[in-house]
Formats: sequence, C-alpha cells, structure tokens
Amino acid sequence: MPPIVPSPMNDHERGPSRRTLLTGAAGLAGLGLLTLTGCTSGARSTTIPEGAATGIAARGGRLRIARPAASAAETLDSASSLSAYEYLGALYNRLVKQNQAGETVADLAEEWNATPDGTTWTFRLRKGVRFHNGKTFTAADAIASIEHILDPKTASPQGGVLGDMLDKNSMSAPDPYTLRFDLTKPNAEFPSLLTAYQCYIVPAGEIATIGTTGIGTGPFKLSSFAPAGSGSVEAFDDHFAGRPALDGIDFSSIQDTTARVNALLAGQIDLISQTNLDFATARVVSASSRATVARVKNAQWYTIPMLATSTEFKDPMVRQAMKFAYDPKVIVATALQGTGSPGWDNPVPPTLAAFDDDRRVYDPDKARALLKKAGRSGMKTSIYTSSYESVFTPMAVAYRDQVKAAGIDLTVRNASSDSYYTEIWMQKPLMVSYWFTGRPIDQLLNQIFRTGSSYNESAWSNTTFDGLLDDARATMNDDRRRMLYQDAQRLIIEDGADMTPMFGDRLVGISRDVVNYREFGFEFDYLRIGLRK
Amino acid sequence: MTAALQSSPLTRFRGRLRGWTTPLRASTALSIGLGLIALHVVLALLAPVIAGHDPVVTDSTNVLSGTTWSHWLGTDQYGRDILSRVLNGGRYALLVTFLATTIAVAIGTVLGAVTAYADNWFDEVVMRVVDALLSVPSILALLVVVTVFDSGLWVIVLAVTVVYAPAVTRVVRGAARTVITQDYVTAARARGEKPLSIVFREILPNVLDVVLVEYAMRASWIVLLISTLSFLGFGANPPTPDWGLMVQENRTALTVVPMGTLAPIVALATLVIGLNLSADGLSKALGIDRAQQGATS
Amino acid sequence: MTVLTTVLRRIGTAILTIVLASLFVFLAIQLLPGDVAQQLLGQNATPDAVKALRESLGLDQNVWLRYGNWLIGAAHGDFGTSLVSGDPVGPSLFVAFRNSMLIAVPAMLIGVTVSLTLGVVAGVRRGRASDHVISLISLVVMSVPEFMVATVLVLVFAIAIPVFPAVVLRGSDATVLQLLPSVWLPMIVLTLAMAAYIVRTARSSTIDVMASEFITTAELKGLSTRQIVWRHAVPSALLPTLNVVALNVAWLLGGVVVVENVFNYPGMGKLMLESVFNRDLPTIQAIALLSALIYVVCNLAADLVALALDPRLRTRQRGRRARPRGTARRPAALAAASAGPATADTATATAGTSSARKDRA
Repeated sequence: MPPIVPSPMNDHERGPSRRTLLTGAAGLAGLGLLTLTGCTSGARSTTIPEGAATGIAARGGRLRIARPAASAAETLDSASSLSAYEYLGALYNRLVKQNQAGETVADLAEEWNATPDGTTWTFRLRKGVRFHNGKTFTAADAIASIEHILDPKTASPQGGVLGDMLDKNSMSAPDPYTLRFDLTKPNAEFPSLLTAYQCYIVPAGEIATIGTTGIGTGPFKLSSFAPAGSGSVEAFDDHFAGRPALDGIDFSSIQDTTARVNALLAGQIDLISQTNLDFATARVVSASSRATVARVKNAQWYTIPMLATSTEFKDPMVRQAMKFAYDPKVIVATALQGTGSPGWDNPVPPTLAAFDDDRRVYDPDKARALLKKAGRSGMKTSIYTSSYESVFTPMAVAYRDQVKAAGIDLTVRNASSDSYYTEIWMQKPLMVSYWFTGRPIDQLLNQIFRTGSSYNESAWSNTTFDGLLDDARATMNDDRRRMLYQDAQRLIIEDGADMTPMFGDRLVGISRDVVNYREFGFEFDYLRIGLRK
Repeated sequence: MTAALQSSPLTRFRGRLRGWTTPLRASTALSIGLGLIALHVVLALLAPVIAGHDPVVTDSTNVLSGTTWSHWLGTDQYGRDILSRVLNGGRYALLVTFLATTIAVAIGTVLGAVTAYADNWFDEVVMRVVDALLSVPSILALLVVVTVFDSGLWVIVLAVTVVYAPAVTRVVRGAARTVITQDYVTAARARGEKPLSIVFREILPNVLDVVLVEYAMRASWIVLLISTLSFLGFGANPPTPDWGLMVQENRTALTVVPMGTLAPIVALATLVIGLNLSADGLSKALGIDRAQQGATS
Repeated sequence: MTVLTTVLRRIGTAILTIVLASLFVFLAIQLLPGDVAQQLLGQNATPDAVKALRESLGLDQNVWLRYGNWLIGAAHGDFGTSLVSGDPVGPSLFVAFRNSMLIAVPAMLIGVTVSLTLGVVAGVRRGRASDHVISLISLVVMSVPEFMVATVLVLVFAIAIPVFPAVVLRGSDATVLQLLPSVWLPMIVLTLAMAAYIVRTARSSTIDVMASEFITTAELKGLSTRQIVWRHAVPSALLPTLNVVALNVAWLLGGVVVVENVFNYPGMGKLMLESVFNRDLPTIQAIALLSALIYVVCNLAADLVALALDPRLRTRQRGRRARPRGTARRPAALAAASAGPATADTATATAGTSSARKDRA
C-alpha cells in the first residue's frame, strides 16, 4: 500500500525550527518594544500633583465623566441606596450642604435656628427658586422629599437616621417659605443630618417618577439617563445661583477601573469619578500629555472592620491587640506611598472641628501580651480584600506584614469586587473597607458606630458610647458637645471594632483641560468646574 | 499487523516507546518544545533558590525601581521583586496546569476508552451527556464555580477538570474506536479476555499517543485559561504571584513598569509555545506511527 | 441508510443535546449554595418575607415542574426576570447578543478568509520562508493571551496613536450605529486569536491533501499548481476549518468575555461577567442556554455542510472497510489537534464524529 500521509520526517523537521523560534522570541521582544516606544506617556514625572488646576473656565463646553455604575438598577432618586451619585449634585439641591471645612452652610434654606432645648428647628427657605419643570420651590416640596426618605418603602439609608427623630407629624410649613421640624427628641446637630446625599429636594408632584426624570433645582437639567449606561445633563439657565460654566455634562458607565483610565488617557473622557487611582497608575496618568491627577486631601477614610460578633473578635482584648500591633505610619507609607495621613484608629478626620488629637501608641509587645492574656497567642485568620478599590489590597497586605511582629498570622484573601459589599462586608470577621469622608460628626458616629445602625460595619455595640451620642445630641452648648464627641472617639479607639489605619488622598484622574475641579460634602462643585478651552 | 497480533501489548508498547524517542531526536519542534517546558519546570523548582527575594514582601522604600543589581527586572508599585514574582508565578501556573490537565486527561481517557469499547446504550448516553456538557461555555462554568466556591487551588483544578474531561473523552473515544477495529483487539476478544482487561491492556496503550498529544494541547490551553481567570479577577488571590494577576495589576502602568506586565507575559507565552510545539511534534511523530500501522495491516 | 436519515438523525441528536444541556444548566444552578430568596431580600430576609418571595418566585414548586416551566418559557424567549434590575432577562440578553455578534461575526468572517488563505499558502509552500513566517506568527499569536493583545492594542492604537477609541463609553443603551466606531479593536483581537488556530488547521490539511494520491494523479494529468490548489487544496482545507470555526463558537465566548471586559463593550461577555458577579441566576441560566444553542446549531450546520461538500462522507459504506482512508485522516486530525484548543475538537470532529458517523452509516 502506498503511503497515504506525507513523508513525515520532512514535515516535522521543517516545522517551526530553531531559527523561527528565535525570531519568535525576537517578535515577542518587539511587541514589548512597540509598547514602550509607541507610547507618548513615559515615566517622566515621578511626583503626583498636589491639587487640581484652578483658573478661569471658558464658558461653555461639555465635560465627559466616566463613572462606575452603582447597579443595573440604579436610579436618580437620591433617597435610594442605588442612586447614581454623580448626577445628584448636578440635578438637585439640599436644604443645607457642607462646605470644605465640614460646616453646615446654606443651600435651599437660607438660615435656620432652634429652640434652646434643640427640639424645634425652623428653616427659612430661599425664594424664587425654580425647578427644571418650571414650578417654584416651596416648603411643600421639602416636606414631600423628606417624607419620601422616611417612607419605609423607599428603604433609604438615611431613613433610619432621620426616622430616629422625625415622624409623620414632625414637619410643618407655617408659610410657603418656612419649614418647621418638631423633633421627637432633641438634636443639636439636626441640620447636619440634612446634608446627607440622600436629602436632595425634588418637586412634590414628581416623587413617584423621580428615579427617571431627575427634576430638581440644580445647575443642570437631565436630558437623558440609562441605568448603568450613559446619560447627559444640560446647563439650567434659571438656576438660583447662576448658570454653571459648562454647557453640559455627559456621563458614561465603565465598570472596569483600567478601562476608565484608558478612556482618560485616550482622551475619550475628561474625568474619572469615584475612582482612587493606585500609585503606579497615578504616575502614568500624571505623566500623560492629555491627563493629570488631582488630589482630594483626606477624601478616603480607610477602615479595617473586625466583626465584633465573630468568635475571633468578640473579645475586646483581641481587638486592642489588633490595633497595638500595627503602625499606621507604615501603612500610609506602603499602601499610599505617603499620599495620605495616619488615622491611629480614630475615624474622625483631623479636619473636623470635633477631632480628638489624643493618639494611641504603637506597641507590638503589648499586642502580643494582650493576645496571650486572651488565650489567642499566634492567632491565625484571614483578611479579605478585593479590587473594588485600588488601596484595599496594598492596605491588607501592609497590615498583614505589620501585625506579623505581634505573632498574628493573617492570610490575605481576594474576593470578587462586585459582590464584595454583599458577600464579604459585615459577613467575614476581618476585611478592609472604606468610606468617603464628608460626614458631619453626628452622622459619622451615629451611622457607623451606633449599636444596630445599618452601616455599623463592625457590628460593634457599646451602651456607654451610644449614651454619649444621645447626650451630645441633647447638648446645645457647642463646647460641651464637642467634649462629648471626643469622649466617644476615645471609646472607639479603646474598645471599638473598626480600625482606621489612615485617611487617603483621593487621586482623581482628570484631563489637563479641566479647571476648578473640587469635590466635597458628597458633591462636585458643579457651578465652577469647567474646561480651559 | 501479524507481528502485532502475536506480540504482547507490553512488547508492542516498548516498541512504540522506541518509536517515540526516534522522532524526539529527529524533530526540532518537539525538542524545542520539550526544552522550553523543561526550562520552565527547572525554573519553577529552583524558584525559591534563584529568585533572591520573597515574592510577596513589599518594600515601600523601593517601589518601581527599574533594573538594579538586586532587582534584575525591577520592582512593582508595592516594591515587590518582579523576577521573584515571575519565577514563583511559574510554580503556581505549572502546579495548577499539571494537576488539572492530569486529572482531566486521566478521567477523559478512561471514560473515552470504556465508552468506545462498550459501543452500546452506555456509550450513547455518555456521549450525549458529553455533547451537552461541551455545549455549555467553559468560561461561564468556571466563573460560576470559582465565584461560588472561592478561588482556592483545588477549586480551580476541579473546575477545569469538569470543563475539560468531556472534551478529552470525546477525542479519546474517537481514537479508541479506530483501535477497537484492529486485529489484536479482535484477537483478545476471541481469547475471551474480560472487557476491562481489554480496555486497559489493549486499547489504552494504543491510544496513548493521542492521549499524549491531547495532554500537551490541553495543558497549553489550561495555562492560558487559568491566567485569563486570574486576569478577570477570579483566579489566584493577591498577593499570590500569578502571571495573569500580575498583568492585571500592572497593565495600566505598562509604560511605568513595563517589566511588571511583559515579564509574566513572556513567561506565559514561552510555556504555551513549548506545549504547543510539543503537541505539534508529538502528533506528527506519533501520527506517522499510527498511519504506518494502518497502512501495513 | 440514506442521506435523509443521516441528516434527520443528526438534527435529532442536536435537539437532544440542547435539552440535556438545558437540564444540566438548570440543575447546576439549583445546586448552588445559598437561597435565592434570601439573597434577594438581603437584610430584610425575615422568615415570612423569604417564604412569600419563594412562593412568588415559584421556588416552592417541584424542581421538575420549575424546569419544565423555565424551558417552555425559554422556548418562547421568556427567560424570567433579572434578580438585579428586575427587568425581563430576554430583551437585555438580546441586545447584548446582538452587540457581541457585531464583533464576533466579522471577526469570524475575516478570520476565516485571511487565515484560510494563509494556511493554504503555508501548506502549499511548506518548508519555504513564507511557511516559516506564517507558522511562526500563528504560533506566537496563539500563545499570547487575548488580554495582553487587547492591552497592547489599546496602548498603541488608542492612547499613543489615537485612531480608535480605547473603550466603549455607551452602555447597553447604545445603538449599532453608536457602537460602530468602537468595534474595531475588539474585532481585531478576536480575529487574531481565532485566526491563529485556523491557519494551523488549514496548513496541515493542505499538506495532507497535497501529498495524497489524487494530487499526484492530478499532477500526472498535467494540472497546474494553481488549478490543483483551487480545486483540491482549498476545498479540503475548508472542511476541517469549518469544524474549527463551529467548535470555536464555544471558545469564542471566552475570548469575548476578556475582550468585552477590556473594552467595556456592552455584549454578552460583559453581561455574563456582571451576572456572575451579581449572582443574577436567571441571567446566567439564559446566557448558558443561549450559548449552548449557538454552539449546537453551529456544529450542526458545520456537519451538514460537511455532509453536503464531502461525497465520501455520504457514500462511504460500512466504516470498518474504509480503514486505510480512515487512518489516513487520523494524522490530519492529530496535526489539527495540535494546532490548539479550538482545533482540539477537530480531532473529535474528524476522528470522532466522522468515525461515529461512518460506523453507523
């Protein structure tokens, strides 16, 4: 029988030969070279700019913002936990807002005062404010908006906070421009709770459909919106504080961080929102000819919650040991490359007036001794992290390296970023987490540390602490109230289950054409932000 | 085939073995392929000795260092030595690939040979099941398994096994069916040998060539698949030194730390090329063997 | 057996495969730990609420009944409701599928045309410089993962030289027209990844054909090389290529996942990643079923086309007689197999399916 197949020896000898293989290696190297030389942005700059460019924005222009979508079910209803954060400040206003120093300042309300016992608050509202649909803003709209937050069906994260002191009969409008709150219990910090980004005011008649219409009094009005998709807003000429510098803003949702950065580097967008760039990426961005980095000082509050209900951390001695065992300065140096400040387990950022500057010590020996006393010498457990935020993994790794000296053996585990806050957060004994800073002191302590609060990520419960918060709310004297808040901070440092290793600067990627980018109190400065050309 | 009919399976196998070493000497593709794989295995085994640095230790004072005497390929943004990470990443890649491929190919081979021999309702049922399993996208199955059961080493290994065993079953069954028609199987049947003994003593040794090629090829695919999983954030946990993860971590900063991305990619690509060349060389060398057998019968 | 019965039998098998696949998908999802109702309710998961939701989702029904309902619904395009958005799965899956096809189909067509040409060229000019270059490039391309190719292409053609957009800015609300500027880079990545495998398959089958008896006969008859290539090499390279393409469909989805992730492209791969992240089980089920359907249909089509093209497959009598022919095909199959993952199953297709078919024929 004749051979049916080709003469084999020839074939495999002539297959990819050594020569071709070498060429292959060269090809691979060439690929690398192409990448290196093909890029305009080299590693020229080693420093990261301190702040965003300021200057006079050209009138007009459209800003393009890339954002990670909250969910496929995200909504423009600010009261919802799935609100599309970036749109809110553009579309709506609150009664009061926070300035950069964390003070409560006027927005739709012009001034406010309380009875000496702190139970009745009266807000005088701004006149002549128009909604995007032409209607005039009155107290009725404010009442309807806050009732919407309180409505259990809305399941608003702020519902519980306000519901603690407000009920259906609490709000009244003696006249269209006066709004009165009769609190069920005194609260000296009540106005600050209305600065939350759930408390935007919408027209009374539009609440049912607000999630898609986005009608507010803000500097921009909605022209299109798709959940987890793209959307646009246009300058609102009748805005009470004047027309914004920009003609409009186009939002697009990009879930993958690298994709957002690539879009910025390629000049497809002008600003990456809700994204803290990691150090290496920040260097790439600041070295690029199109883009740069703006630092928002101490904007990121990083935490390591220890679940106080878990067998690992229900013992306060173990929790103390976990704190004494690490030096926050090293974590800032490693995980943030110095772009932040150490927190020493005090959750209150140094910029807030009520900040207590007593500092705990770093003492690994004491940590070791405490663990021994608790019968947990050489304790082993896992610390969970995720690519959800760029600093999570470096922080978890740095923390693990730090506590080794105290004989604590941690395994760093990576969890998927999209289910991190549903599967890991408040479920696993030890994980890393973060918040935006910008909460007023009362909200910060009550929302994240009070027993049973839905945001109490460490499930810590301390009745003395809760009592201090109640006392503070009932204390109208500012100095005395500040002292109570400082006592509360010390209690968190000593007994609390939520560690605060550091506050990080947010490294925001922006186009070199963007001027006057500022972000504080959970809002962009949408009036002034603009483009150079 | 008359000679084969009389010789024992073992002698036949030995003969075949000799048949295989000859092409190794003659085939450049095969020798380069095996050489590359051997290089990777040696580097992986010696990684702790030659790496010089702990792959997960961070050093905040020495980030993005570029090439230095201490760090030949520089450091990444956490100050970890890139060379050590690439070398140790090889350990992980080879281990997972070896385990997953071996288990998948072993299961697929036995199942394929048995079903081919059975050639009855059992064969039919298994093949329909295999077809159905093949039609479900492997990446989806892997993603779901890894998300639900955490991405530990064994979860990944078992998930990959489940995904690839059906494909191997199909290929081996195809090969085994041609073997079954050979005279020596008929002879064994005539001698009254038990079915299982025929499967293991007559059929399996004679589909080993197909299995070997299948092994090299699946392995090359599995290396890529595992790195893809890591790249998508479903694979190894940081700070595990893993090639896919390294690319994911460093790709945005490709211009600042080129080695952080290029080194793991070159490592990955050379391993895959090695496996592909081996599969190539093996199939040619062994394919001939089979064809000549067929031709002389 | 007539051709008709072979065809009918093949279609029957395909339907059976789909039904089986749907059953596996459904059961696998049921087996996942965690209660769907509990997951949906999250913090509000009081026992009463869980019970009520289980009832409204039909989870209290018999598992087979639910499977039946789901399958019947799916056959009508009703895949249930997404656990995340609360919208029906069907429409969003359709949009994602359409978007994926927008990059996958051109990638497939270009990939097949270009790589078939290259493969035949390499096969005909075996051992010459052009063969070496083609073989080598295909080897390198298939050894570099798609995510790297995508990353490099973005860096070079979107950031350094901005000819293409780096990512898709619009979400699933984008129209085809709006997507058009963004499809090129994803398409190129998919094309490259797939082409490499096809080049190698086409090359080895060309080599087989060129060395076979009938080519020698044709040469003796005085046919020119060009005629031989067009009449014999190309058609016979086409058959295994068809199989590769069909089997590539399942694998293509893997590539699509990576590519869509890198480019933020609103297709099925991205939808898949998101629904896995969010544990959106109805969407995962729907994607799995749709992918299985595409895979089976493509393979059925490939087999039927092969049947139509290859007279041997139709007329061959009892396979065991046809041994020499059969074994002759084996090396081709093996060589094809070595071409890589996708073609792995070509070995199946040629050594497996065809032998199965011929044995039953």
